[in-house]
Amino acid sequence: MPKVTVDGQEIEVPAGATVLQACELAGKEIPRFCYHERLSIAGNCRMCLVEVKPGPPKPQASCALPAADGQEIRTDTPMVKTAREGVMEFLLINHPLDCPICDQGGECDLQDQSVAYGRGGSRYGRENKRAVTEKNMGPLIKTIMTRCIHCTRCVRFSEEIAGVDEIGALYRGEDMQITTYLERAATHELSANVIDLCPVGALTSRPYAFEARPWELKKTLSIDVSDAVGANIRLDSRGREVMRALPRINDDVNEEWLSDKGRYMVDGLTRRRLDKVWIRKSGKLAEASWDQAFKAIAAAKPGKNIAAIAGDLVDCETMFAAKALLGAMGSTLLEGRQTGMDYDVSNMAAVAFNSTFAGIETADAILIVGSHVRWEAALVNARLRKAVKHGAKVFVVGPEWETTYPATFLGEDVGVLGKLPKDVSDAFKGAERPAIILGGAALAKGALAPALAFADKFGLVNDGWNGFNVLHMAASRMGGLMLGYAQAGGIADIAAAKPKVLLSLGADEVDYSAFDGVLKVYIGHHGDKGAHAADIILPAASYAEKDGTYVNTEGRVQYAEKAVFAPGDAREDWTILRALADALGVSVGFDSFADLQGAMFAAVPALGEEGLADLGALPKGDAKAKADGVITYPIKDFYLTNPIARASAVMQQCSAELLHGDDLAEAAE
Amino acid sequence: MSVLGKIFTWWDGATIGTLLNSWRTGEQVGTDAQGNRYFRARKTPAGTNERRWVLYAGANDASRVPPEWHGWLHGHFVDVPESLLPPAKIWEVEYTPNATGTLGAYRPQGALERGGRRAGASGDYESWTPDS
Repeated sequence: MPKVTVDGQEIEVPAGATVLQACELAGKEIPRFCYHERLSIAGNCRMCLVEVKPGPPKPQASCALPAADGQEIRTDTPMVKTAREGVMEFLLINHPLDCPICDQGGECDLQDQSVAYGRGGSRYGRENKRAVTEKNMGPLIKTIMTRCIHCTRCVRFSEEIAGVDEIGALYRGEDMQITTYLERAATHELSANVIDLCPVGALTSRPYAFEARPWELKKTLSIDVSDAVGANIRLDSRGREVMRALPRINDDVNEEWLSDKGRYMVDGLTRRRLDKVWIRKSGKLAEASWDQAFKAIAAAKPGKNIAAIAGDLVDCETMFAAKALLGAMGSTLLEGRQTGMDYDVSNMAAVAFNSTFAGIETADAILIVGSHVRWEAALVNARLRKAVKHGAKVFVVGPEWETTYPATFLGEDVGVLGKLPKDVSDAFKGAERPAIILGGAALAKGALAPALAFADKFGLVNDGWNGFNVLHMAASRMGGLMLGYAQAGGIADIAAAKPKVLLSLGADEVDYSAFDGVLKVYIGHHGDKGAHAADIILPAASYAEKDGTYVNTEGRVQYAEKAVFAPGDAREDWTILRALADALGVSVGFDSFADLQGAMFAAVPALGEEGLADLGALPKGDAKAKADGVITYPIKDFYLTNPIARASAVMQQCSAELLHGDDLAEAAE
Repeated sequence: MSVLGKIFTWWDGATIGTLLNSWRTGEQVGTDAQGNRYFRARKTPAGTNERRWVLYAGANDASRVPPEWHGWLHGHFVDVPESLLPPAKIWEVEYTPNATGTLGAYRPQGALERGGRRAGASGDYESWTPDS
């Protein structure tokens, strides 16, 4: 633990810390452009200059200098200030003065730091500024490369975090240009994070270009629902529209990244919206009033023949309100696994990501069964890459996909789980922190029991470590399972029970043909498959338009806040279910959102506490359990997995250009 | 205009008193394209300006006076416009009174009365219909 003195204040810093980190610990703010906590150190912007003794009598770049015992660091001397001013002046030689039309304006590092270190005027009045051609980085990233200050954060992000060689630098010195190789679009699922990383306006968001200024946006803390990771996001809204979604820092969940889908599906919130009540009359949906809809549902006299299916995006409150309504009617026909999966949920620990996302980084042998992690949870894939960088071995059972780290594919048949090749079982026997990640495709093939047997066999649970992980794909899944949205036989049980009324809480992946003759009431926010199949449509709120509780695949309880109001006649889901209870003549026991949450917390106490829920111990596996069948991944198109994304023009464009771009090019030829 | 209307209203054309006064003390000097009649006093006391006035054909709206007669009414022209001004050119647009408050009033582009659609703004959304 070296002891250093920062501006006369003596502090102890962890071994291996840099001078910049030491200054941060001492509470000194060091200006920087290229340095970023989560990326490797480049030391090329020179903005973080400080004076260090002992050492050469000149300013030193603090980000790349290790803190050593007895160092005397000054951050406030005239030499430091002049040096930084000099660096800023160099940076501004070629940086255009287009802040008024730059999308980064107001949230630009260069703008902010030039307030402290910029000169009042330029000494390069007669020289032209360097101009750099724009680069094509795909439909999400807009480039104005003249603004680039060569910090190379984007290059390092692509190489280190994303694990793809998509962005690099050409030429040298002043002529250096950041570009995608051969001008191809950046296709990685985390590509848009370089927009946040860019300290200037060189890489900005294309869909958000010239849409708004940061200071006119209302910031709301929310949770991403595009996958089961539950990334912490901030929704920036203006008036009634969500303008953009940005990641929040949460080291346990998303660090500070966000998948492109979570970031850019928000424009889908303004398209294909359900904003009126519709009732099917003689085979055709017609506009109606809330009163007529409730009367029509009551006229079906469901009694206890009522069922509910939860969609992938709903919050726990909605599911609990529906459960309370069904409970009051005397029914327990609840299901959330829309595609018909029927894995055993008697033990919640057996269907959760027990290692936690931060924990999986420390695993040293990982078996992925039936999960296209890159598409099902792009942020988990970044964690896996970190694990591999720390020396973990990764094996995958399932069809091949492009991993961003070295991985061995063991075949497409889930039966491999029972008879692993010798080198794989050796790797797991020798591993201290072995882990298995079970995807939805594996669960569909009944791999849960064999995976538990695998966990027993290789000691996946030992002191302080639980390597048994199930990676879900739906934001509502864990919450739904905690609230009892599961039948022993899956959705087939619901169909077999022949309910009179089926409440579909935004369920768009269900095969509704199994429910012919049932009064299907769709309570959701987007006109998708569910709305087309429905007999009565009640417009509800999307994740941005209601407060809600979400549980991610780790079993982490997180709360999201309401950013904007739902459009038109749409109401928050729980109010619809509460009104429906009146129409059906039953009492659900809550009249306000606070009542509802109170009742939910009383019923499932784990939901009342933010953070990881205690899901209990992993059950013993059955050593004889077997599963076989060829794994097919459920996600066919990363960008179009939920009704909001399918409605989003940006996501449709991404799907067309990034995933099917080659087909398009072929068709054009 | 009914007789009762003439007696009890003042906004359409001259009142009975004005008509009487115009007949008694004034003489008509001309009419404009809209049928408004222009009068001047027969006698002008020494040292005062000639009295000039207009009787509207229809609504009493000062904007219905075309510019040439406006000039005459306000004493800019010594004599009636026809005697001073060059004849109207064929490309000259006919004078129109102020249309504010009428159906012909100007509506900016995008006004609903003009059948316009406003430009997109934040908060706009596209609603779903069963046919979409």
